[in-house]
Amino acid sequence: MSFDLSLIVETVPKMLAGVGLTFQLLGLSAFLGLILAIVLLLMRISGKWYLDWPAQLYIYVFRGTPILVQIFIIYYGFPQLEFIRESVLWPIFRDPFGCAVVALSLNTGAYVSEILRGGVLGVDRGVLEAGEALGLSTTQRFIYLTTPIATRLALPAYGNDIISLLKSTALASTITLMDMTGIARTIVAQTYAPYEIFISLAIIYMILTFFLQKFISLIEAYLGRYTKRES
Amino acid sequence: MELLSGWWDDFFWGSVVVAQVFLASLVLMVIFGLIGAAAKLSGNRIVQKIANGYTVVFRGTPEILVILLLYFGSAITLTWISRLFNPDIKFVDVPPFWAGTVAIALIVGSYATETFRGAFLGVRPGSIEAAKALGMSGLQVFFYIRIPEMWRLALPPFGNHMLSLIKDTALISIIGLNETLFVAKQAIGTTGKPFTMYIVVGLIYLGFSTVITLTVMALERYGNHTVRAR
Repeated sequence: MSFDLSLIVETVPKMLAGVGLTFQLLGLSAFLGLILAIVLLLMRISGKWYLDWPAQLYIYVFRGTPILVQIFIIYYGFPQLEFIRESVLWPIFRDPFGCAVVALSLNTGAYVSEILRGGVLGVDRGVLEAGEALGLSTTQRFIYLTTPIATRLALPAYGNDIISLLKSTALASTITLMDMTGIARTIVAQTYAPYEIFISLAIIYMILTFFLQKFISLIEAYLGRYTKRES
Repeated sequence: MELLSGWWDDFFWGSVVVAQVFLASLVLMVIFGLIGAAAKLSGNRIVQKIANGYTVVFRGTPEILVILLLYFGSAITLTWISRLFNPDIKFVDVPPFWAGTVAIALIVGSYATETFRGAFLGVRPGSIEAAKALGMSGLQVFFYIRIPEMWRLALPPFGNHMLSLIKDTALISIIGLNETLFVAKQAIGTTGKPFTMYIVVGLIYLGFSTVITLTVMALERYGNHTVRAR
């Protein structure tokens, strides 16, 4: 058994060619997932059962099933349904990239909405009462008081979810997409050198995770700049 | 429904495999988590560094990569070792069941490490002092005070770790474990109905998740029964 360093030098640039696709998947699904999460959150805190229940069911289903199964249902399963093949959305579902983005967004949206809800529930009631006493309407209280405080509270957990999302993008390689993992699996199938290639890829992912974490803690520090106590 | 007629037993046995992987990886995950937490809490710098390395690596790498690496890597290593003893051996394979089980246990174990560590540190010093003042021995303090308090703190995140485990079992189909996703793939080959088959897989996993969630809720109620009665 040998550890072929020259193979690493040769293959790392090839795998890095897929980093763009990884970032596209991450960025698009994080953005769409966040929008979905906000909609679900508003449905859950609306206080109306006909909005709350569907949102709860959605979250229950998407958090209770593996993301890989969700990806397979959308990519392999949807073409079975005629009304999807005839709908305007068919170009999205025909394309593995579209399917991956849809699946990742739907999945992360369910998780993020619960994270946001945790933030909203964590807002101190005294602040809201003060807002009410100052004559702010419910909507104003939500926008000017709840949103900034809840964002700050939810950010650390949200950061962890973004990192989970980065790791989930690797599953796009199971539906023929050539992201970093997809490229690595092709190279391993050709060279049969799993250690060299998968370990270098793992290190690339760890570096990305590290920078994402740094980036999120920068935002955390920025949002928390008023909450720091002067010593 | 008649479409599924020939496949019910296959899906059943696939679910049995999922349950087996889950239980085996649950045991390993607890062991890895406890070792990791003990290492992080130990006074030894080097041991702490190793445990930190473990959590950083397994929390920063995609699950599928860990599974592929363990499966193909262990096959190569085992082949190499057995060739040292018998050069005629062509290839030694590791069963996907064990490669996958160990892989997901290592991944979720790295999260459990933090849970167990946090729970251990979360035990109120006052409780320990009070127990000691009452004349409890070290072991008594551990079993009557520390464990019940840790249990209450660790249970909610531990429930999430169990849900991660059950969902990660689906990934092991990628290395050829004959669990439900694998069964679905075969069923699609003959019936040509991917949507139906994958929905069945989704429902099976939803069932498993529901059972786990309800169990954790019951355990939480049991763990907190002394706290609530106030």
